[in-house]
Amino acid sequence: MSGMHLSKEFFELLKAIGESKSKQEEDRIIQREIATLKKKMDGSSSKGGLGGKLPTIGHGGGGGGGGSGSHNALNQNRKKAKEFLVRLLYVEMLGHDGSFGYIKAVELAASSSIIHKRTGYLLCSCCLAPEHEFRFMLVNQMQRDLASSSILEICSSLIAVTNLITSDMVPAMASHVEKLMNHGSEIVRKKAVIAYHRMYQLDEHTVDRKDLIDVLRKVLCDRDPSVMGSSLNVIESLATVDPAPFKDLVASLISILKQVIEHRLPSDFEYHRVPAPWIQMKIVRILAVVGKNDANASNGMYEILGECMRKADVGINAGYAVIYECVRTITSIYPNPTLLDAAADAISRFITSQSQNLKYFGVTGLAAIVESHPQYATAHQMSVIECLEDRDETLQRRTLDLLYKMTNPVNVQFITEKLLGFLRNTTDEFLKEDLTNKVCTLAERYAPNNLWYVETITDLFEMSGDFVQQEVAQNLMTLIAEGSGDDEEDENGEE
Amino acid sequence: MISFILMVNKQGQTRCSKYYQWLPMEERVALESEIIRKCLSRSELQCSFLEYRGYKTIYRRYASLFFIIGTKPDIDAAQVGGENKENELGLLEFIHNLVETMDKWAGSICELDIMYQLEEVHFILDEMVMNGYIVETCKGATLKAIDLLERESRKGEAMFK
Repeated sequence: MSGMHLSKEFFELLKAIGESKSKQEEDRIIQREIATLKKKMDGSSSKGGLGGKLPTIGHGGGGGGGGSGSHNALNQNRKKAKEFLVRLLYVEMLGHDGSFGYIKAVELAASSSIIHKRTGYLLCSCCLAPEHEFRFMLVNQMQRDLASSSILEICSSLIAVTNLITSDMVPAMASHVEKLMNHGSEIVRKKAVIAYHRMYQLDEHTVDRKDLIDVLRKVLCDRDPSVMGSSLNVIESLATVDPAPFKDLVASLISILKQVIEHRLPSDFEYHRVPAPWIQMKIVRILAVVGKNDANASNGMYEILGECMRKADVGINAGYAVIYECVRTITSIYPNPTLLDAAADAISRFITSQSQNLKYFGVTGLAAIVESHPQYATAHQMSVIECLEDRDETLQRRTLDLLYKMTNPVNVQFITEKLLGFLRNTTDEFLKEDLTNKVCTLAERYAPNNLWYVETITDLFEMSGDFVQQEVAQNLMTLIAEGSGDDEEDENGEE
Repeated sequence: MISFILMVNKQGQTRCSKYYQWLPMEERVALESEIIRKCLSRSELQCSFLEYRGYKTIYRRYASLFFIIGTKPDIDAAQVGGENKENELGLLEFIHNLVETMDKWAGSICELDIMYQLEEVHFILDEMVMNGYIVETCKGATLKAIDLLERESRKGEAMFK
């Protein structure tokens, strides 16, 4: 594929960007480009410019500024306008301000040519900050497009709505989107579900939770599997907050999962011999949330989870991803010994695998199972230590997580020492905060004696005092003030 | 949820960036340059996942181009203290699915294709991911929608011949 469809100017720009040897050089190129683009905008009424507002088809010929009334010139103008926006996208993508051109994007979104409309919406979605007033300017256009008879226009608008709406725009758009969930085209329905959920996220009053759930129940049974797949995202999201309304969907979900793993979906859903792996993963995740602490609901899931795990074992990543999801679910729902053994078995295979990615899953899987079923941890002590000492920082961090979950009164000192060791050597603020909280929690929960507690927390203050919570500091003070009578404690030097 | 999808080459030049949670420009620039540095500092023998500033990140390298997906806990779940439940291996394979889709569309995708047709790459992504959720993974369905778009746009131009 060559860049033959690009103007010479654009082609040269991309060539220069591609060949630039330093950030400074790239910055200079982009500054020049910004100057060029600004000139194009200023020269709007000249032939070489972009033309004024773009005329639309069906409004007779010519019209609007720029160019002559001939169709070729109009075509040229539109091509230029689209290219202008893509070049603007480059400017912003490479870290420079392109706000002088945003208005062109808003104008192009009003175009009757779908690719221009889409490009206009794209630029708005990528560049307009949530507080930017142009977002509001697009409401009417998006409404018009949602009501269009062209599927492509509706889809452009649904994508734009999802990216661009803010909470005060929801009331104007909600009913338009809701209607589209019954649209004849699956391409539309698939997107409408997500757009509707987005509106719920921004404004729970206009888009009622109960209404959303009712809609989801219908969409779950949509005749098109992609639409069903799309709804799973929203179901998972809502069920995580409150699983109760979804308990009666368990049977449907299991039935869908069964159809999927039996290869009853169209062949386009197969990914390297695994049928719709991402749909499988989503359903299994939903089951985890709905089955948690619920023996009844969990009971219905055991069979399908076992089958799903078995069928996914085809030796490729997509399959392992499904297996891992099943392992996670098995450890969250009401326990079943057979399944737990199968999960532990899978974890064993992962953690002893040569593949670092699978080792990672072994460690995270072990962390999941060990919380509620600590007996599974002992078999893997050696592997865990190896992972802790692996040069792969990601694996180390996951193993720290695992250690934290494996802590008990017997091993607390050993594990705390390990966590403090990492804390001492890291500069990563997020990791520091995480480890600090972990050490505090472990110290409070399992401290073998006061002296150890005081020493540990003191160490903690020296290393990451900023992250230690107030109550911990107060507890420590109280403890020291009461005095254990064994030793003289040094006053810790924290603020 | 997916918070961002990046295509960055090994010189640190961003070839495509898509954000599903708004970040101001300075933060994007900083994030992109730091994350590619982290990816580059890791060896091929290490796992394809890393943690960066609270983002659980998955990356995969194809020739000179890195595909990077950053994830955060789902917005709704985060309100109740939910964790990030994204399946790292699943996303690693999603990246591969994306590359296979673009491959089919371009007839063998390369970095230049992405540069020359940036907006089309965005359109493909828009078919597959919305609001940080994976909504389409069937190559046929995605490319059918793109094909519809391309045919419609050619029709529009033909009208003016």
